[in-house]
Amino acid sequence: MCASVKYNIRGPALIPRMKTKHRIYYITLFSIVLLGLIATGMFQFWPHSIESSNDWNVEKRSVRDVPVVRLPADSPIPERGDLSCRMHTCFDVYRCGFNPKNKIKVYIYALKKYVDDFGVSVSNTISREYNELLMAISDSDYYTDDINRACLFVPSIDVLNQNTLRIKETAQALAQLSRWDRGSNHLLFNMLPGGPPDYNTALDVPRDRALLAGGGFSTWTYRQGYDVSIPVYSPLSAEVDLPEKGPGPRQYFLLSSQVGLHPEYREDLEALQVKHGESVLVLDKCTNLSEGVLSVRKRCHKHQVFDYPQVLQEATFCVVLRGARLGQAVLSDVLQAGCVPVVIADSYILPFSEVLDWKRASVVVPEEKMSDVYSILQSIPQRQIEEMQRQLFMEPARRENWSAANHQMNSLIWPREQRDSQIINDRIYPYAAISYEEWNDPPVVKWGSVSNPLFLPLIPPQSQGFTAIVLTYDRVESLFRVITEVSKVPSLSKLLVVWNNQNKNPPEDSLWPKIRVPLKVVRTAENKLSNRFFPYDEIETEAVLAIDDDIIMLTSDELQFGYEVWREFPDRLVGYPGRLHLWDHEMNKWKYESEWTNEVSMVLTGAAFYHKYFNYLYTYKMPGDIKNWVDAHMNCEDIAMNFLVANVTGKAVIKVTPRKKFKCPECTAIDGLSLDQTHMVERSECINKFASVFGTMPLKVVEHRADPVLYKDDFPEKLKSFPNIGSL
Amino acid sequence: MQSWRRRKSLWLALSASWLLLVLLGGFSLLRLALPPRPRPGASQGWPRWLDAELLQSFSQPRELPEDTASPPQAPHGGSCNWEACFDTSKCRGDGLKVFVYPAVGPISETHRRILASIEGSRFHTFSPAGACLLLLLSLDAQTGECSSMPLQWNRGRNHLVLRLYPAACPRTFQLGQAMVAEASPTVDSFRPGFDVALPFLPEAHPLRGGAPGQLRQHSPQPGVALLALEEERGGWRTADTGSSACPWDGRCEQDPGPGQTQHQETLPNATFCLISGHRPEAASRFLQALQVLAALQEMSPARVLALRQQTQFLWDAYFSSVEKVIHTTLEVIQDRIFGTSAHPSLLWNSPPGALLALSTFSTSPQDFPFYHLQQGSRPEGRFSALIWVAPPGQPPLKLIQAVAGSQHCAQILVLWSNERPLPSRWPETAVPLTVIDGHRKVSDRFYPYSTIRTDAILSLDARSSLSTSEVDFAFLVWQSFPERMVGFLTLSHFWDEAHGGWGYTAERTNEFSMVLTTAAFYHRYYHTLFTHSLPKALRTLADEAPTCVDVLMNFIVAAVTKLPPIKVPYGKQRQEAAPLAPGGPGPRSKPQAPAPDCINQIAAAFGHMPLLSSCLRLDPVLFKDPVSVQRKKYRSLEKP
Repeated sequence: MCASVKYNIRGPALIPRMKTKHRIYYITLFSIVLLGLIATGMFQFWPHSIESSNDWNVEKRSVRDVPVVRLPADSPIPERGDLSCRMHTCFDVYRCGFNPKNKIKVYIYALKKYVDDFGVSVSNTISREYNELLMAISDSDYYTDDINRACLFVPSIDVLNQNTLRIKETAQALAQLSRWDRGSNHLLFNMLPGGPPDYNTALDVPRDRALLAGGGFSTWTYRQGYDVSIPVYSPLSAEVDLPEKGPGPRQYFLLSSQVGLHPEYREDLEALQVKHGESVLVLDKCTNLSEGVLSVRKRCHKHQVFDYPQVLQEATFCVVLRGARLGQAVLSDVLQAGCVPVVIADSYILPFSEVLDWKRASVVVPEEKMSDVYSILQSIPQRQIEEMQRQLFMEPARRENWSAANHQMNSLIWPREQRDSQIINDRIYPYAAISYEEWNDPPVVKWGSVSNPLFLPLIPPQSQGFTAIVLTYDRVESLFRVITEVSKVPSLSKLLVVWNNQNKNPPEDSLWPKIRVPLKVVRTAENKLSNRFFPYDEIETEAVLAIDDDIIMLTSDELQFGYEVWREFPDRLVGYPGRLHLWDHEMNKWKYESEWTNEVSMVLTGAAFYHKYFNYLYTYKMPGDIKNWVDAHMNCEDIAMNFLVANVTGKAVIKVTPRKKFKCPECTAIDGLSLDQTHMVERSECINKFASVFGTMPLKVVEHRADPVLYKDDFPEKLKSFPNIGSL
Repeated sequence: MQSWRRRKSLWLALSASWLLLVLLGGFSLLRLALPPRPRPGASQGWPRWLDAELLQSFSQPRELPEDTASPPQAPHGGSCNWEACFDTSKCRGDGLKVFVYPAVGPISETHRRILASIEGSRFHTFSPAGACLLLLLSLDAQTGECSSMPLQWNRGRNHLVLRLYPAACPRTFQLGQAMVAEASPTVDSFRPGFDVALPFLPEAHPLRGGAPGQLRQHSPQPGVALLALEEERGGWRTADTGSSACPWDGRCEQDPGPGQTQHQETLPNATFCLISGHRPEAASRFLQALQVLAALQEMSPARVLALRQQTQFLWDAYFSSVEKVIHTTLEVIQDRIFGTSAHPSLLWNSPPGALLALSTFSTSPQDFPFYHLQQGSRPEGRFSALIWVAPPGQPPLKLIQAVAGSQHCAQILVLWSNERPLPSRWPETAVPLTVIDGHRKVSDRFYPYSTIRTDAILSLDARSSLSTSEVDFAFLVWQSFPERMVGFLTLSHFWDEAHGGWGYTAERTNEFSMVLTTAAFYHRYYHTLFTHSLPKALRTLADEAPTCVDVLMNFIVAAVTKLPPIKVPYGKQRQEAAPLAPGGPGPRSKPQAPAPDCINQIAAAFGHMPLLSSCLRLDPVLFKDPVSVQRKKYRSLEKP
């Protein structure tokens, strides 16, 4: 409005002579033009707003609008695939840099349409699956849009199906990619390789050094440690949602659902069916289906019609037989249905065989033994079959893991492109690679099982000795007595005093008892019980003796014997006073027990030997808020340690030597019962709290303790190695 | 006219402003209207196509069944894989049988050891016709002789050519379809899944046994160098954790200051060793090693710990002797033949390893005593008592009653092994009692009878005497240690300086290393090991000298577990009488022949001394504690 007013002032002579009708028209027109001018001028100063609105537009483009690239007939063709390629010869690791997250970075070329000299397109621009695949990469952590930072390049040229390709022109299209460089660090995805009549088992497009993630590799074409074998996608697996079916026997023992089998193979299978009757089912295409019924979703045996892939769930074993191609989409269907695949395809490289243990989830039978397949399968024990079935169900479990990041990827095999990246990632950063178990162990099994960090059976040499760690606050007199007593133990190699009192300095050097081993005092920043379990650099032995500053009743023989017992059980807590946890049926929760019982499940760390590694675990790997709970309550650090060790090793504690009256936390109560009882209540609380944090009760109950071989035997005391046990 | 002029100027003004508009704003407006190509700087990712839903699938449903199968392809260009070049039909029956071509002319020490290790194994056969695998040792460079084409060559089918030294011999004949087992094969010639890669066998590599790994503790000591780099001339250069690492992408220009060179033959005391494949550029390698260092420093202590232990396990299980290397090779090939009943990878990759966990016993890890923790399973809650009745052959009625009284006892098996006729009547027991008529041989005691239906076996001699609570307590202990032997009476071995050999004694000492199998719990898997993996000579030894069988059984278990057995308390009175003691002063019915020197013979056959000593006994928690006996669960163990 402002602009029009100005105009009115400037041109009073002009306007009155115009007809009213025109005047209004022109004024409006000018106002609009000027408004437009001002608006565009403002846009010039607001480039960012243009950008952001741009983004939104780019995301929503049509595949048909992508730029067209004309490939001259004489443009260069890459060499044929180099069969001798390996990671160290054909892959440039230096491009992958060294980044803190140990993740490779993947770049995707922009989508283009390639045409030849005559304007005829080279291939379909992109298929639905390849689009999803690239989308998954782009949504993953591996993606980068900076071509200079990328380690792996994925062309947007879709070569999933060789049948739809013009081989020479596709190769030319690859060669003109901006970072092609003989194809090194380029990753191609292909599922249907080869073509009639010979059906090569790898993509025929010349691709030089490019990595190939292919379905249907054979041992002849697969470059071990370079290519990645992937499953052939089955369109059905995305469409059909099969209910989960647990392990156990099924209606059919062996089922073949493939159509278009080689007549010889079909004869073999049908012979099996004749021989074994009902337990074998050989299906084929349906010939007389009514109109409108999808033939891919039906299979027939004689006149019986079955729903596919649902019928796969009715069988224990499902045949996956080679066709002209080795990789068969039926493998995906079979896996999804939880049927154990019987792979009959000589020299086939099973998908992801580099990391997946197919022995655990499938049976591979040589083609020449096809007629024996029934008896081979019969010889597999039922338990092993159930394990395989369980293994198949772990696949969906893992799938959820992967697809948490991108929910479109809900079909069985679609996490694969991420898996591929992970496999290649492992090759580039092998030291950070995921272990075999992590790839193959179902999380379900992991609940009950443990992988003991100290799994190697080893008896550490006696000569190393142990480090005693005394946690103290201010009971100097008692502390000095403990130091003097412990220093008499032959295998003691160092004594560490953890001074937990910030308000008071430790006594002067001259006042400490003179002992034969080094004595170090560590001052702590805060009065925390967890300080006892810190992996101090001063601990140079594997064995640690944690001892309270008031435990003066243990004899030198008992301590030395405790150390010898620890050497035989270096992955356990070996301690003196034992305790037990019990299930209180009335209160419906755990209860702490310190009475004279026939069982033991914990040892107090007021006097216990253990491996230094558990200090590291306690300090850095304690689950949940247990450490804070312990420090806040100033109690239960020993129970926490018992939980931690039992949880990680799956083993029970070892209690050594007979029971004696200990001056232990429970016994310090001066006026008897009441204090004692609150203490017990608090300890019970700890057990319940820790059990809920660990999500399980890891403590193991045993009925044994360790004594010297000749303990209380009728044998001359002076000939016993540890005579002074249980005395005092 | 006037109005036209006015109109003209009006038009002029209008067009001028339009021009301005186009000049100023047209470009930006255009940008608004037409989206440009994605800019490299902005993070965009793969576009969401408007018509993504309309895209076609890469293969149409009707296209998939298009593959009508063709006959299997023939291998290209003389290359081989397992299916094409190995005939498994010869291997049916007792699995892998190996024939070794006898050596012609003088042979080297390594060669002799390899021959010995195969001939002593369960794989060996003397008949080339009955063999499934024919093994040809490619002669080494020392003798300078190269073998000619062997007789049963048949284009190399089912042959394994063992090459100890890379390219020791010029090829006098085409390898054809033969598998090659050699040290450091090259990537180009190695056929995965067909050839076998071997470690390099030094001349002095022991035949069997082999030095144990040098890792004596689980975690590295503080102050030990992190990385050692292999140099030329066998030296080692070490780098500390403190040294600065080079940037990954830049070429390192620093002087390798923090390192120290150790010119010595022995391996350095470092956490990691970098082996660079015998290339001369050692100096530049060192700089790269520093980059590796940066990577290694990131590794968590838990990971380092796991790697260290795994190296030791692999060394002990597969590398430490010629015999292990050769047997591993054969086991790998056997696994290929077995297919579905091959070792699961868990058995290969965790202690005690695939050579000691026989896949012929089971392929399910839970059936073995070693993997309960990894599998999250527990040993069974029941046991089978196997009572051996040797001459004079009194039916052990009291013993049967005591054992059958245990709540954990599932069955009792009586192994009748003497000339007297089987008694027709046996005591009534709560559990099934089966009598097996044995072959009068001691080794019968450790045969894997199919009638044994539990994992735990309580092995007994008819003259043993045990109480029910002793059995109960010992079985509970065994459940905590299912891979070990849990026994009542013990033996201990010692090095006899005077005779320069091993000796053992049944005297009571402060330590023990063996438990008597005349009263012991152990896993039934050890019966399979005893019968199927032990060299026949050792089983014969046990038959000839029955007292040796205890030693032998303890050797087997210790070699597998690398742990000592476990002793539980045994009533004092009877201990005095020592009815279980072997060959000792105990009341053996007939005078024993002086025990042969079995421990040294067995140790020689094992190649090392696997026995380990323990100084502890596992007692009930309240054992002999000053507390009311009413509180004690196993009070009868304490009766004087």
